[in-house]
Amino acid sequence: MTNAYLSYAAKRLAQAFVVVLLAYVFTFMVVSILPGDPITNVLRDPQNGFTEDEIRQIIAAQGLDQPIPVQLWTSLSHFVAGDFGRSMRSNRPVATLIAEVLPSTLILASAAFAIALLLAVTIGYGTQFLPKRFGQGLLRGFPSLFLSVPNFVIGLVLIHLFGFQLGLFRVIAPDSFWATFFAAVALGVPVSARIAEVLIANLDKESEQEYASVARGRGLTRMRLFARHLLKPSSLPVITVTALAIGELLGGSLITETVFGRTGIGSLVQRSVSTQDLPVLQAVVSLAAVVFVLVNLIADLVYPLLDPRVKLIGGPRARPTTADDGAVATSVAATS
Amino acid sequence: MTLASFSAASRVTAISRLTALRVPPTVAFAFAVIAIVIAWSLAPGLFTNHSPVVGVTAEKLLSPSAAHWFGTDHLGRDLYTRVVYGTASSVTSALIAVVIAAVAGGLIGLLAGFLGGWVDIVLARLVDVLLAIPNFLLAVIVVTAIGFDTTNAAIATGVSAVAVFARVMRSEVIKTRQAIFVEAAFLMGGSRWHILLRHVLPNASRSVLPLAVLQFGLSILVIASLAFLGYGDPPPASDWGLLISIGKDYLKWPWLVYAPAFVTIATVLSVNRISRWLRKTD
Repeated sequence: MTNAYLSYAAKRLAQAFVVVLLAYVFTFMVVSILPGDPITNVLRDPQNGFTEDEIRQIIAAQGLDQPIPVQLWTSLSHFVAGDFGRSMRSNRPVATLIAEVLPSTLILASAAFAIALLLAVTIGYGTQFLPKRFGQGLLRGFPSLFLSVPNFVIGLVLIHLFGFQLGLFRVIAPDSFWATFFAAVALGVPVSARIAEVLIANLDKESEQEYASVARGRGLTRMRLFARHLLKPSSLPVITVTALAIGELLGGSLITETVFGRTGIGSLVQRSVSTQDLPVLQAVVSLAAVVFVLVNLIADLVYPLLDPRVKLIGGPRARPTTADDGAVATSVAATS
Repeated sequence: MTLASFSAASRVTAISRLTALRVPPTVAFAFAVIAIVIAWSLAPGLFTNHSPVVGVTAEKLLSPSAAHWFGTDHLGRDLYTRVVYGTASSVTSALIAVVIAAVAGGLIGLLAGFLGGWVDIVLARLVDVLLAIPNFLLAVIVVTAIGFDTTNAAIATGVSAVAVFARVMRSEVIKTRQAIFVEAAFLMGGSRWHILLRHVLPNASRSVLPLAVLQFGLSILVIASLAFLGYGDPPPASDWGLLISIGKDYLKWPWLVYAPAFVTIATVLSVNRISRWLRKTD
């Protein structure tokens, strides 16, 4: 760890913090400034049966009669202190609501992530070693196909085939092993396509390198050649795209949880959308931004440690895919 | 130089341009699919004799046959007809989304790249924020704020894609700005606006076109997802996502899901293929 690295890390950390704060402000603006008045719509909904007096009380209690900058400041300072406010529907703390459903979504998302990685690497392996005309073309088409299928369709097809036809799981028991597994597959497939696209491009590039020919010439097994000489150098850009794909897992969980009838962050969002429970929505969006920014921050920080060629000057992330020899020569990476 | 030799030369370039533009069979097929989809959305009545709204109750939940290509739904409506009539809304909304994303994102990227300095810094942070919120979540929030219907879902989808266009446009503008011909235009006394409109914009927008086409396919998916969750127009509208959503309650009659899903996938695949081809021929 040198000074260059530490100051780079500090700079990226500060940037990440600013982005999270701005994401909060942005969501706040979207929900409070755009036309339409979700809050009084909910309160004045005759089904809720609030009198005008009660409505005024609730609005005052939530601080909604204050001017918008004041509201923003109050809620932003609460957010920084870790207080997400209370749900407008159930009047329970938003943090509790989220904590209740978080484990289920974490299980789903991490399983989906593992499946996505495995699938991407398998596809990548196939594109390097399957016969050119037969299997390879098919495999190369997979990412594009995966990205063209709405992920609720993948979920419905899996439910239809494995749930209804084969009876592997039952939709009314969404937390059983197989139900979770297939939900994770549905969520992971589009993510795997994004990773596979980048992986294949880099594997192709690496396999043309001279050291790859040398490794082949030395008679290494396919597995060893793939793992040590192709996959390892290709993994850097894959880290970048993987970090970006995390956001997709969060967004996709909304649909997957609905399709598979799971309780989780996604279903919480859906419920909050239909009841226009803004504090909950705002908290979830901000948390998603925090997760996304953190994961990308970690990727950015790991990058220069894995690849000493990565430049540390300036903010933008260096990409080895495009980095030519000139960039390597001029790099001021940690002079360890 | 005689007129004859001039025309001969131009014929040669025309031929070589045609060979350069030679369309691979899969791309031709993709264009055919898109042509059908466009025809469906312009004149749905030409492609079917059934009504998309009124069904024959006696003929409910029939499996696909010669009379009903995609079978019939729980109200005895011909599913193929519903898909055809739902095309216009599905396609138009994706188009709205792309136009919003490309215009807003393009403008942000253009300003950031061309003006540089603090404008660039401020806009870059805005783009970072838009990127930090998962696309689909962002679309859901926006559609919640402005109300549930298909047009709003399209607007929300467009907003969620602004960042991508801004990024690409900015990097293209910066690349073009450093080109020698732009420098030359400056030296010849071209005003900033002239250079922006005459040189930078046309060059930078070249790589925005494949992106826009790709985004069109993605928008179809996102809007279908929003419709699936019930954030679009309610039935009897027959957006593709909504059809699949209705079908999911009748999984015993799987064509109610598979048929509209197949049309959606075929459309998006074709669009993606065309986008890839555009990127390669550029």
